[in-house]
Amino acid sequence: MAFVSGRRTDVVPDKELLTRHVQGDPHAFAELVQRHRDRMWAVALRTIGDPEEAADALQDAFLSAFRAAGRFRGDSAVTTWLHRIVVNACLDRLRRKTLRPAVPMGDDAALDLAAATTAARSANPASADPTAAHEVSLDISAALRQLPYEQRAALILVDMMGYPVDEAARVLDVPAGTIKSRCARGRARLAPLLGHLRNRRSATHVEPAEGGGGSPR
Amino acid sequence: VNTAHLDYETLADLAEGLLDDELTASAGAHLEHCLECRDRSAELAEVTRLLAEVPAPPIPAELADRIDAALAAEAAATSAVPSLEARRGRRHLRILSAAAAAAVVVGGGAVLTRTAMNSPITSEASKAQSSAPVQERDDRSGAAGGTAASPNSAPDTRSEAVTRQDAIVASGTDYRPDTLGAQVAAELRRHDRATPLRPATITAQRMTGCLHRIAADRRPLLVDMAGFEGRPATIIALPGGGADRLDVWVVGPSCSADTNDVIQHTVVPAEP
Repeated sequence: MAFVSGRRTDVVPDKELLTRHVQGDPHAFAELVQRHRDRMWAVALRTIGDPEEAADALQDAFLSAFRAAGRFRGDSAVTTWLHRIVVNACLDRLRRKTLRPAVPMGDDAALDLAAATTAARSANPASADPTAAHEVSLDISAALRQLPYEQRAALILVDMMGYPVDEAARVLDVPAGTIKSRCARGRARLAPLLGHLRNRRSATHVEPAEGGGGSPR
Repeated sequence: VNTAHLDYETLADLAEGLLDDELTASAGAHLEHCLECRDRSAELAEVTRLLAEVPAPPIPAELADRIDAALAAEAAATSAVPSLEARRGRRHLRILSAAAAAAVVVGGGAVLTRTAMNSPITSEASKAQSSAPVQERDDRSGAAGGTAASPNSAPDTRSEAVTRQDAIVASGTDYRPDTLGAQVAAELRRHDRATPLRPATITAQRMTGCLHRIAADRRPLLVDMAGFEGRPATIIALPGGGADRLDVWVVGPSCSADTNDVIQHTVVPAEP
């Protein structure tokens, strides 16, 4: 049958899948999406913060990739290319939402203001998950939202997703040195914001059971 | 002698090796005897660790489904024109009565049947399709933004070529040899009244190959991925074959650029 090609069980390399998609294999792109969607979702959600916006951005990104597959040059990994499309879709969305007036790019103060506005708007007080880990996650995403987008994107790729600096540089299409300095500046901003998490962590570690009643749980 | 404390930024730059030699040396000397700055430096390392420990959320199942549906719709939308109804409009009725038309019936595959039968997926798909113009606008502004524009920039020549083809629909109709002409005409009239078209889930490239083979230079009036005598088939109606007549082809699921898979070919009156 005509559709059998997509149902192979052996592992087809990403590039081969993309080639097949371009050649008309109806299952190839879906397979590619299935392989990488969790990772891409993590990137999108962390970059944007708001789950609905992130979902829209991710869908846009996959559609863009679907359409642009024919222009994939093959000089980078497919995952790099996909990451780039996802990150760009997210950043475009963030910029469009918050930077409507003509604010010059690279103006950190304006970016901060924009990021803080986004953070305030999408802060989610309804979440009542009692677990400490979840609280930590929420605190971290709230803190991330206070960073300028470029710093946030770099930190998400390098510190959260664990990608090498060079890979993050390829995804964001900037020199490795730029990634390093964005990460450094991002960490410098986050350090005071996340100080309480550090204290809490050490507190819970020092008092394993029901130590001081003050330990949040 | 360094008495000034190091701020987070300097410490973070130091950790990334971004300070020049002189600053690196003086910062190192300061850290050696300043507990406070060593603490701050540790806090920075802690930031990286905290970030790394945040669990990666798996994609929600609904979103995964939604994206699958959107991609399926996109595959169909590259064949079916986005502003389909607008483009069809009256024009086709005129072509129909003025010239003759030909209809081709091509057998659709399993994918297509699923679309025709499964309304939840279909409605998802049409929703996704209706938002397509917005996405296209997004893509363009992304390209204008400059950063790594290549994936989003430039019109997709592939979809452009396919878009010239006429609407591909999946009406769910089971065409019959004896009523083929009437069914095709009914389907054409239905779309002429701007009935919302249900996008068909099929690989655009495959369908395009089939259409090019069957239609050659003629523009199909109707491509309905439906059924013929209970079997999956695609019906293609083309102008031609004399005045007020439709050239109707019924083709099977294997129809592609290389394979005919014609089930039936007939010329029927355009307005029975």
